[in-house]
Amino acid sequence: MSDSASSSINYLNNDKSIKSWLFTLDHKRIGIMYLIAVSLAFLAGGILALLVRVELMAPGETIMSADAYNQAFTLHAVLMIFTFIIPAVPAVMGNFVLPIQLGAKDVAFPRLNLASFYIYLLGACIALGALVVGRVDGGWTFYTPYSTSVGDGVLFITTGVFVMGFSSILTGLNFIVTVHKMRAPGLTWNRLPLFIWSIYATSIVQVLATPVIGITMLLLFLEKFLHIGIFDPALGGDPVLFQHFFWFYSHPAVYIMILPAFGIISDLMGTFSRHQVSGYKFVALSSVAIAFLGFLVWGHHMFVSGQSAVSSVIFSLITYLIGIPTGVKVINWVSTMYKGSVQLKTPMIYAISFLFTFSIGGFTGIMLGVLAIDIHLHDTYFVVAHFHYVMMGGNVIAALGGLHYWWPKMTGKMYNETLGKIAAALVFIGFNLTFFPQFIMGAQGMPRRYYDYLPEFQSYHLWSTYGSWVLGAGLFLILFYLIASLKSGKKAGLNPWGALTLEWTHTTTPPNPHNFEETPIVKRGAYDYHLAKELFASGGEVSEVVTSGK
Amino acid sequence: MANSHSNHPAHLQHHFVSSEQQFDAAKMGMWLFLVTEILLFSGMFVAYVVYRTWHPEVFLLSSELLNPFMGGLNTLVLLASSFTVALGIHYAQKDNKKGLVINLVLTFLFALTFLVVKYFEYTAKFEHGIFPGAAFDPHGVSHGVDYAMYNVPYAKQFFSIYFVMTGIHGFHVLVGMGLFTWITIRAVKGEFSSEYYTPVENCGLYWHLVDIIWIFLFPLLYLM
Amino acid sequence: MSHAEHHISSIKTLTIVFGGLVFLTVLTVLTAQLDLGAFNVPLALAIATTKAALVVVIFMALKWDNKVNTAIFGIGILFVIVFISFTLFDTLNRGDLTNTTKGTVQDQQIQAEKLQAQEPDASAIQFNRTPQ
Repeated sequence: MSDSASSSINYLNNDKSIKSWLFTLDHKRIGIMYLIAVSLAFLAGGILALLVRVELMAPGETIMSADAYNQAFTLHAVLMIFTFIIPAVPAVMGNFVLPIQLGAKDVAFPRLNLASFYIYLLGACIALGALVVGRVDGGWTFYTPYSTSVGDGVLFITTGVFVMGFSSILTGLNFIVTVHKMRAPGLTWNRLPLFIWSIYATSIVQVLATPVIGITMLLLFLEKFLHIGIFDPALGGDPVLFQHFFWFYSHPAVYIMILPAFGIISDLMGTFSRHQVSGYKFVALSSVAIAFLGFLVWGHHMFVSGQSAVSSVIFSLITYLIGIPTGVKVINWVSTMYKGSVQLKTPMIYAISFLFTFSIGGFTGIMLGVLAIDIHLHDTYFVVAHFHYVMMGGNVIAALGGLHYWWPKMTGKMYNETLGKIAAALVFIGFNLTFFPQFIMGAQGMPRRYYDYLPEFQSYHLWSTYGSWVLGAGLFLILFYLIASLKSGKKAGLNPWGALTLEWTHTTTPPNPHNFEETPIVKRGAYDYHLAKELFASGGEVSEVVTSGK
Repeated sequence: MANSHSNHPAHLQHHFVSSEQQFDAAKMGMWLFLVTEILLFSGMFVAYVVYRTWHPEVFLLSSELLNPFMGGLNTLVLLASSFTVALGIHYAQKDNKKGLVINLVLTFLFALTFLVVKYFEYTAKFEHGIFPGAAFDPHGVSHGVDYAMYNVPYAKQFFSIYFVMTGIHGFHVLVGMGLFTWITIRAVKGEFSSEYYTPVENCGLYWHLVDIIWIFLFPLLYLM
Repeated sequence: MSHAEHHISSIKTLTIVFGGLVFLTVLTVLTAQLDLGAFNVPLALAIATTKAALVVVIFMALKWDNKVNTAIFGIGILFVIVFISFTLFDTLNRGDLTNTTKGTVQDQQIQAEKLQAQEPDASAIQFNRTPQ
């Protein structure tokens, strides 16, 4: 292999035709296509969120009617959850990074991988069809009997969710098999990067939970069309049974959203602390533990829905247990930083903000799992703030960290580090300004999803709206400098962060179409900095791709 | 790694190191897929169990309208088709193309028989106004059974669950017939051998699962 | 190089299992005609489970397969059991809170109307009604 060939040909420039992108089986290109699709969904959902916040600046009508407001927050939720946050990390970064970190040429089933992307697109388009057909205003939970009694928009969204479910299942299935069967020689389970462990745990949840949302949406569909009387109380059905069905998927789905974030944070903590992640095995297995426990707590969404007290008590108790594996992670991340030497690059700043925002989200989750407190806080802004601290403060901040971390590998370009740090600060400040006041007004009794409110809540709503502008500014700044970096960014080195996982040590930047010229042979763990003499000899910057032969 | 290219069968995709790795991966993927199928059906079983525990007497009464001999016949038909699939894989492993093709065709025919029986069952129900959902209106008399007597509260739920469960199952049978058509054509072309029979194996796994679902549906709906 | 051992089930084994499955089907139809009281359901489910186990272990060859596939299948079954049992925790105990009644809103209204017909003092009835 000549050096010139290996440095010039990469997955982006080996074939530039549109067709070669649309029909690609390359996991890296599929990851990039997902990145574009998912970013558009995030943009749409984000604009809706900004509109909702502007409407709530003052009581009564501000910029839109109550009807438009109901549709706006519903669409915001549906877009953010089903088209953005569920595929975001697994389908974008999982697709791009996972096979390379495993030392594989591709995922186990490349054609299935491409199919899952198009199924996702199809599902998203069907869901957006609801915009054309008419109103969807019942929130993203589609609770019966309301959802079966209003217009046809719900049908489009539920069909869209049904279809996107297949995409999620196929991605998860693909990754599980890939992790089991495609690891490079020497890459034992104890040496796997923690990102892989968490994507693996996520995939388990995707495979086990998603079929249930499929059957739920199907039954909802039949309830609406044929009035089969399973969920509609007017026909002898049980609406609480619908909630069981819905949350059997949707609670584990919360872990589909947060587990990959944990994986990114673990990778960032190890890399930017230049230290083995403390309690590696505990951090790895806690992902799997969370995945399993996550299936046993769905009833904590139904404490005030009229389910039996016995089941409420059981669900509440198990909810506390989730705190244990999650705490194991947070403590180990902090301890990794304590033992290591922390380098405050942009991705690490996101990782540290994550520790703050996610911890707040996690602790308030435990509070909401307490039966008596939940009676008071249920369906208030406290819940809204809690899940945004987990979803946005957890998943999105981690995803931004991951995007900044892998951006040089994906594109071959460095972004502006100063702007990166400014944007990270804006996101952190804006985020807290938006959602912290919501905890306070929620505790004081401001109900969620309401169009109008009492004047005493106005100052909190105002702060929250100002915060959303800061947050929006931060996010648009990121969009701006990332796109700018494609044109004018510095050329990225092979391993600008001094990381030890295979995508940084054993392949070019951007990676070559088949990932590796030779199958790598792994001789150390993903964060074994004490064994990485070659890295420190060159002062933290690695200039040469390691190949197994040398 | 250099020798991975020296032995490169036609079916081996480039990103796998060996046929064995490819076979194991495909089979593991199939088992994961089967688990998603099981969980898909689990929703229906939950609905069944919940409504049955709430209204056991209605479920007992309503199941009298289902014909256990038709259901039993269909059980035997599906078991036989599972048997022929297993035989087909046996012959594929033994490089016996004729045995493979015959058994695949038999499986297809059994699946077809199942759906024909199901068709007669459904139409017998529809004739007496037994539909899923709002159209549920039992009426008429046949074989000394007065259907109107079965129009009790929650009988509708039983039949909704019956139609949805057997409907989704029937859809899977239909998909299975499509799969076996495809596999049979490939088998006739001689694409399978003891070296490579992964698609036969995986379609077989799918088909056995369809059988297993029915093994549970039969007693739950027809017998108790 | 790709020649690991794949288990081949003999035709004899497959035939015996098929015979067993047919026998169990006949058995479950026959036992369903008997009235065993509380044992009807467990017996039918036990027979069905045995049949399913035969199909999984022999026909699907899980007995000779990779242990990971057994684990995958087992986990799938486990979560079906979780789904059913945790839902039953609720539906079998519905209405166990002390401040609710099992009756629906409609039942309560009928009840209230009945009482109203008997009792001329309407305020007493208002007092008795469970808060919604």
